[in-house]
Amino acid sequence: MKARARIRLIVIYLGAAIVLAGTVGPFLWLVSSSFQYERQLLNRPPQWLPNPIVLDSYREIFEGAVLGEASGVPYQSRIFLRSFANSFFVAGSVAGIAVLVGAYAAYPLARLTFRGRSVLLFGILASRLIPALSLAIPIVLVAKRIGMSDKIVTLVFINLSFILPYVIWLLQSYFKTIPIELEDAGRIDGCSRLQVVHKIILPLSLPGLTSAGILAFLLTWGEFLFALLLSETPASYTSTVVVSLFATDVDVSFVSIITAGVVSVIPPIGFALIFQRFIISGLLSGSLKG
Amino acid sequence: MLAILFSAPAVLIIAATILAPFCIAVFLSLHNWNLKRPGRERFIGLENYIDWITDSDFWEPLRTTFTFAILAVVLIVLLSLLISLLLNEKFPGRGVLRALLLVPWAIPSVVNALLWKWLLNPQYGLVNAVFFELGIITEYQNVLGSMPSVMIWLVIAYSWIHIPLATLLLLSGLQTIPGDIYESAIVDGANIWGRFRYITLPLLRPMLSIVIIFEMIFALKVFDIIFVLTAGGPADATNVLGWQIYTETFRKLDFGAGSSIAMLLGAITLALAILFYAVLDKGTER
Repeated sequence: MKARARIRLIVIYLGAAIVLAGTVGPFLWLVSSSFQYERQLLNRPPQWLPNPIVLDSYREIFEGAVLGEASGVPYQSRIFLRSFANSFFVAGSVAGIAVLVGAYAAYPLARLTFRGRSVLLFGILASRLIPALSLAIPIVLVAKRIGMSDKIVTLVFINLSFILPYVIWLLQSYFKTIPIELEDAGRIDGCSRLQVVHKIILPLSLPGLTSAGILAFLLTWGEFLFALLLSETPASYTSTVVVSLFATDVDVSFVSIITAGVVSVIPPIGFALIFQRFIISGLLSGSLKG
Repeated sequence: MLAILFSAPAVLIIAATILAPFCIAVFLSLHNWNLKRPGRERFIGLENYIDWITDSDFWEPLRTTFTFAILAVVLIVLLSLLISLLLNEKFPGRGVLRALLLVPWAIPSVVNALLWKWLLNPQYGLVNAVFFELGIITEYQNVLGSMPSVMIWLVIAYSWIHIPLATLLLLSGLQTIPGDIYESAIVDGANIWGRFRYITLPLLRPMLSIVIIFEMIFALKVFDIIFVLTAGGPADATNVLGWQIYTETFRKLDFGAGSSIAMLLGAITLALAILFYAVLDKGTER
């Protein structure tokens, strides 16, 4: 029996090692490449670890942002930091507003019985089944007509509507897990519905609200299609758009391209690892409970 | 009353950016609407749709889309099933491994495309280097430059960021299976394959269905990775419907034709989701 247990562990760790290599390996190689000299990247066999650690490509991004054309760095490097800030603004706003608006919409869906409840719930969910590409065409057309194209607010608004159904779904399933007795007790003590929501439901739902906010931030951060179609100048480029400008340009050095990729995933990967518990619970409850 | 008041902001936002555009998209799809020829917009009924379904420019991308989607779903489901079975075992370090799964998940699809463009680089890519050092290939290959390798690597690159979520979902499904069922099966002499085939698989089926349907819907509308990694090439080998819609609408500026092909893709996706749901759901009730 003891030998069997040992074999089991060996098999498990062998599998775990393969999964680990496959999961973080490609990304670690990207990070390692970003700290090398361009000429070292061309080595055969490849140089696994940077030696020395080269920060030139990172400095390019900062110099480019500060000095502009005078820095002599590629166009994409100069506009990168700005797009990074844009991404933060868009993803942060979407997360904040989605949780706020979503919480109020989710409460009646979770707790009240009213005519049209199931229609509302179904409608909110079904709206997500329409492919974004087919909506993108009229949205771009209308945005250009009314002069809302190439504006960061437009991106916030559009992302918001794609994130909201998801947030509402997640929050209403979270609200359902709060014991109804707590709410009843509040009502007996003379709280109105609104007070019940503000003083009991929302404070108790902090973990759920956090999950929803982080997921909203991450999904918006990675959004590409609308960011691409609704932006025309660096004023509204998000980091995914600039990354695509890097990646499809053959004249930019590999190190610059790679570094842009690494920098643009620092926020999402950092968030994902710091808040992994919230994210995993949010991902699971969002798609399972109902 | 309160319900209406509370949900009004959310409903208004969703209606303004999903419902209204959807109606406009239907409207556009029934019109001749090309931005290169302004002032010539007119109602043409189903002509756009008829043009598409009698044109190989629809059927070829459709076939490519399905080839891609089926390969991707198979790869994602197989690997995530294996990984979730591994993570369902108790061993020190399990939590760390589960947390690290979020690394690929958190990477935006565009950055993922950039990452794989670097890994697959014909002169300096890591994939080439590893295969070369192992003696599998004798010279570096441009895998994105020819069929079928471009499709295979596109599927792998796409799947890499989609496997984590599928794994977490399947893992949560596995954890709802009570352990004592396995214990009594062991007492009855069931081996590991028997336990998987007759306990795990049937009990995991509802979650497996959800994962398959979700992944299918996602894969059918693939766009981001195509934009950066292959741009539909080489020679239309990876010209999926998502890319076809993009080029038709935003490069040829034919919004009518673009809208109608997008509608077709939406209808196909929806029909497939319903069909899958019916078939897979029926299976669980047996």
